[in-house]
Amino acid sequence: MTRSSKVLSTLVENKPGTLFRVIHLVRLMRLNIEGLTLGVTNGGADCRMTMTLSGDDAAVEHVARQLMKVIDILEAHTYGPEEVTARELALVKINTDKISVAEIQRNTGCRIVDSSKHSVVAEIVGSAKEIDEFVQRLGESNVLDIARTGVAALPKETTSR
Amino acid sequence: MTEKMSGARATVEALEREKVDYIFGMPGGANLPLYDALWDSKIKHILVRHEQLAAHMADAYGRVSRKAGVCSATSGPGATNLITGIATAYADSSPMVAITGQVAKAMTGRNAFQETDVIGIATPVTKYTLQPLSAAEVPFAVKEAFYLATTGRPGPVLLDLPKDVQQEEAEMTFPESVTVRAYRPNVPVDPQDIERAAAMIVKAERPILWGGGGVRIADAAQPFGALAELLMAPVITTLQGKGDFPENHPLSLGPIGMHGRAEANKLVSECDLLVAVGVRFSDRSTGNFGEFAPGAKIIHIDADPTEFNKNKAVDLSILGDANVVMGMLFDAVAKRITKSKDLNNNPWLKRVNDVREELKGIPAYKDSYADLSGPRIVKRLRDVLPPEAILTTGVGRHQMWCEIHYQVLRPRTWITSTGLGTMGFGLPAAVGAKFAAPDVPVVDFDGDGSFVMTEQALATAVEEKLPIISVILNDRSLGMVEQWQRLMYNRHYIGIKFPNTPDFVKLAEAYGAHAKTVGSLDEFAKAMREGLRMDGPTVIEVPVSPLDDVFPFLPPGKGIKDTVYGSSKEMAIF
Ligand SMILES: Cc1ncc(C[n+]2csc(CCOP(=O)(O)OP(=O)(O)O)c2C)c(N)n1
Repeated sequence: MTRSSKVLSTLVENKPGTLFRVIHLVRLMRLNIEGLTLGVTNGGADCRMTMTLSGDDAAVEHVARQLMKVIDILEAHTYGPEEVTARELALVKINTDKISVAEIQRNTGCRIVDSSKHSVVAEIVGSAKEIDEFVQRLGESNVLDIARTGVAALPKETTSR
Repeated sequence: MTEKMSGARATVEALEREKVDYIFGMPGGANLPLYDALWDSKIKHILVRHEQLAAHMADAYGRVSRKAGVCSATSGPGATNLITGIATAYADSSPMVAITGQVAKAMTGRNAFQETDVIGIATPVTKYTLQPLSAAEVPFAVKEAFYLATTGRPGPVLLDLPKDVQQEEAEMTFPESVTVRAYRPNVPVDPQDIERAAAMIVKAERPILWGGGGVRIADAAQPFGALAELLMAPVITTLQGKGDFPENHPLSLGPIGMHGRAEANKLVSECDLLVAVGVRFSDRSTGNFGEFAPGAKIIHIDADPTEFNKNKAVDLSILGDANVVMGMLFDAVAKRITKSKDLNNNPWLKRVNDVREELKGIPAYKDSYADLSGPRIVKRLRDVLPPEAILTTGVGRHQMWCEIHYQVLRPRTWITSTGLGTMGFGLPAAVGAKFAAPDVPVVDFDGDGSFVMTEQALATAVEEKLPIISVILNDRSLGMVEQWQRLMYNRHYIGIKFPNTPDFVKLAEAYGAHAKTVGSLDEFAKAMREGLRMDGPTVIEVPVSPLDDVFPFLPPGKGIKDTVYGSSKEMAIF
């Protein structure tokens, strides 16, 4: 059994209940969802769901294949991390008592999207790894809270399906 | 043209347009508007005493008639009672529309009286679920439910109708057809696949054709059998696929599997090409996947692409309706075979016959059993029943004896729960089958444990004057489980004995059915003949020993070549 993180990308009809149908199979195969992004596309007709799943690789493949049985699903593919362009957005609330806004920006190149008396909210977009590194550079003790979107991903052109 | 009516009335109208004859069900608060709309409908309501029975009836009705069987229940406990029957239909790909009442939309999520999230519960055991949120959507939802239930790989569809949607009035349009964008059931067959398959088939020296439930569903028995005869290839089936090919045909080896025929289980390991049609490589059929048909190239033909390479990697998969694919394949193979094979000099058929001879004497096939024992009763049953008779079963040893010893001669005459293995399926399935085929004898071959799970179906059978017969092998035990405890759990018999089994004759008579206990095979045959002439249901109790084990037996997890043909002594090796 090989275990790793894989990206499961599905295109589904934009209807209530479709995420529920997808999640059922993910749960059945005992996979953990580490990231989930979801957004309407194709003029509102469809919805793309991108899940980062950890667990048995064969189980992820099984889910992708069996998902095609679900009536509302148009496409389901799995990708290894190297096969996709992946981006995640994070909002990070930073305590500015010990670190100045200027320092933050110099160190990280992030965008400040909100500022209050003792804290700012920084926005950073990048790979999951880049976001981890950003938090590390700030120093964990300066970080008050983080909201991450989970990965959105599209296959690279070289990936043939 | 539109017409103003309630959602409930529109449901009934839409069902009539789908040519529904019967609804099996029970009313309650949340589906009363629907029942009221049935008041002046041509559709006949068949009242059950428990909703699980309604689902089994609808399921069997669908398997026999090819139409979607319809069952209905109220919200809450009515809906949850349907679930076992829905899951049974799902596991065996049976077309069904289950209609549940639901609390009014405004009450949703308030733990209203008899509110259950039936869509949440049913999603993993249905092909689809639908819940129209306004009356005007109802005709479309009904159309979609039937479309999905009966096309592609069939299955049960749940239609959940909130009470206010049933009551609301709207201008109705009844669509002639619907499309579901992401659902494409009729993908054209790839002619290149057919050519590839034909090339593999004519090259094979030891081919076997393997039929499953998909052959029946696609009505593909004709081209399936024709290809077998063209190739002079032996035929095996799954348990569900019994009847894909006449089991009294010289090329028929019978079903493979945990309790398959010995010659089928043996020869499947020797073939060099396996043409698998409408099967899903269930572990019950194949045993250990890795050890299944090790020397064979495998061609898999199925209407559901998600079945390909799911349990067993195959060499060629062909997506399509089995009837279409087998027709094309027959033509392609016929073109390539220039002269017919020399039958007398066919080493594969010679090997098949040698294996048959060799296995003739195994204990399971010798009539070493007592007069009143499962194998003998089953064989006598076949003698008494005409070829078109429909047999339904419960789940247990009695079912397995049918698997091994009852020859199914025509498609859609063998109705049994294989995927889920649902005890209690037999009697309500016989009721549903009889409604679908009123002119054909219908017999439920049952175990005492299975029978009592759904015996209330007798009430319906009596009311509807259905001349069905339930044969109960009464071993006062959950026989199949007893066998496992005997052979694999050191005879630790626990939770299997029925010291206080009911008096089945009195029980049946209490419902108003005819009933008899028989003490010999001849008495059994006589009682069967009488039962077939009755104008209502008959129960025939046959007392049998709990000690007769079913063989052949492929122990769970083992490779099919390790099938134990003979006796409990051989089991000692496991
Ligand atoms: C609903 C359900 N519960 C439990 C089982 C497990 N089970 C399989 S066979 C069996 C015994 C069946 O007994 P009976 O119907 O008397 O048939 P027999 O094996 O004696 O012929 C049981 C309990 C099952 N298949 N279905």
